[in-house]
Amino acid sequence: MLETVAQAVINGLLIGGIYALVSIGVTLIFGVVKIVNFAQGEFVMIGMYISFFLFTQFGIDPIVSLLVLMPVLFFVGVLVQHLLIRRVLGLNDLPQIFLTFALSLLILNLALMLLTANYRTVHTWYSDEAFHIGGLYIPVAKLIAFILAMVLSGILWVFLHTTDLGKAMRAASQNRDVAQLMGINPNRVFAVALGIALALAGAAGSLLMPFYPAYPLVGQVFVLMAFVAVVLGTLGNVIGALIASLLMGVAESLGIQFIGADSGLIVVFLLLLTTLAVRPSGLAGGWRR
Amino acid sequence: MPRLRGWGWPVLCGVIVLMLVLPLVVRSSFAIDIFIRVLLFAFIGTAWNLLGGYAKQLSLGHVAFFGLGAYTSTLLQIDFGISPWIGMVAGGVVGMLASLPIGWLCFRLRGPYFTIATIATAQVLMLIFLKFRDFAWGAEGTTIPNLGHAPLMMQFETKIPYYYIVLGLLSVALIVTASIERTRMGYYLVALGEDEDAAEAVGVNVPRIKRDIYMVSSFLTALAGTFYTQYIYFIDPQTAFNFNVSIEAALVSIVGGIGTLWGPVIGTVLLETTSALLQSWLGSSVGGVQLTIYALILMAVILWRPTGIMGYLIEVYGRRLRSNPAEA
Repeated sequence: MLETVAQAVINGLLIGGIYALVSIGVTLIFGVVKIVNFAQGEFVMIGMYISFFLFTQFGIDPIVSLLVLMPVLFFVGVLVQHLLIRRVLGLNDLPQIFLTFALSLLILNLALMLLTANYRTVHTWYSDEAFHIGGLYIPVAKLIAFILAMVLSGILWVFLHTTDLGKAMRAASQNRDVAQLMGINPNRVFAVALGIALALAGAAGSLLMPFYPAYPLVGQVFVLMAFVAVVLGTLGNVIGALIASLLMGVAESLGIQFIGADSGLIVVFLLLLTTLAVRPSGLAGGWRR
Repeated sequence: MPRLRGWGWPVLCGVIVLMLVLPLVVRSSFAIDIFIRVLLFAFIGTAWNLLGGYAKQLSLGHVAFFGLGAYTSTLLQIDFGISPWIGMVAGGVVGMLASLPIGWLCFRLRGPYFTIATIATAQVLMLIFLKFRDFAWGAEGTTIPNLGHAPLMMQFETKIPYYYIVLGLLSVALIVTASIERTRMGYYLVALGEDEDAAEAVGVNVPRIKRDIYMVSSFLTALAGTFYTQYIYFIDPQTAFNFNVSIEAALVSIVGGIGTLWGPVIGTVLLETTSALLQSWLGSSVGGVQLTIYALILMAVILWRPTGIMGYLIEVYGRRLRSNPAEA
């Protein structure tokens, strides 16, 4: 029994690391730019497909492909900010919500059209390897993904707290107007926030590839998790999103273990709805204009 | 929305007569199927527009009520032999009652997080219906027993009666919307849609107005669920709680003109016609074409015409009035 629980917790933590990369991106964009990126999951999907094609065409390992993928998605993020999001800033909710929502619909359905709904998998040398510690089973691919996810989150944290640009981003997320008065260029900061967030989403995709199939709808799974994590972990708070993601990974995994294979998502959504019912101000209190 | 005057009434009467004789003139069952889809989504869009358009509570979980309506009438029909006509109203009531706890939860959030919470509630409902097979057939769903020609059980041998049913539903929704527009409630709605805090400050009971309009909106949406299930003779969680219904409900209103009486209707006509043309051109084999086009149209509307087609028409009409005051 104890072993089953421990195994479920480990599984949850490992996948929670991936959720964290996606939620940190969502919360970073929300904190700095004050919009919710509904298309975040689609960039995970794009990351997975790029990593898949790099592997099948050039034999590049998904972990190595991070080096190509993250700069590419950073650039895509800057483009998304300049071409789309910049044009709806300062408007009301409707354009802000539905612009990124339309982007998500567009990418998802283009993927369905061009790449078909087939599952694509990548089989690396470590895909089937696992550590056995006591009775516990730790797949190598998931462990690598978890460690790299934590390293990337750590780098981001250091960046936000030590560099001028990082401090500027935090300043802009606390009070945009004052930050602007202090000489911070909001457009530059927003573009960097979008770039980092999309690079993290792409990284999540690449890290998933050795043990998770790519298909056009895959991003939806991760973005829903990210939204819940971002609400639970106080909006705009990077550390909060990280901890909430790990917790949700565990909650989902325990749900799968003890209620049934298709119950993971129910547990997570119920967690969200209960939080809203019991402590809406504590956890979502930041969302008052 | 200005009251009808000048050419308004004759145009409206013309449209009504046209809609009434349409299935008698166009006999192709393929075309009637498209008309039914247009009317159905115009109806769902009009129901969404009450909450999303006037009160600006941008729900993406309206399929929750669609599904509840569909399941209520189907359960009543198959387990108890109750006619879907009664089931439809019962479904509406169930949807309306379900909006109370859902609204209680979701209205705690604003803006994008309200939207996400509505998505979550609809997903939870779908997962519940997928999981509990003893209660309602689980993932396999069920077919509605075909009784041939049975008007009392909402079953007909041709598509034409379905056309008139959904035309009736749309008319009801439009009349409800038009009447709400003219009451005090309508002004409260617009006020809270413009600025919630300001509306509250001048004494509008914001939580109550939101709750009431959510009830009306979900009642109507649930009726659509019953109609759709009766029309396709099949129900399962994936169709009854299909996220695309929530998307299209919002999309037709935004493209047509959010918070306007005719916006959702115009939006549906545009989107569904485009989609029907595309499908006859490309064939239905390629997945994702329809929503790709919808997404592009939605982006274009948001970036260049955020008030939708109706907003554009009103603007053009207003400009013409100013340049030629004699017409007013």
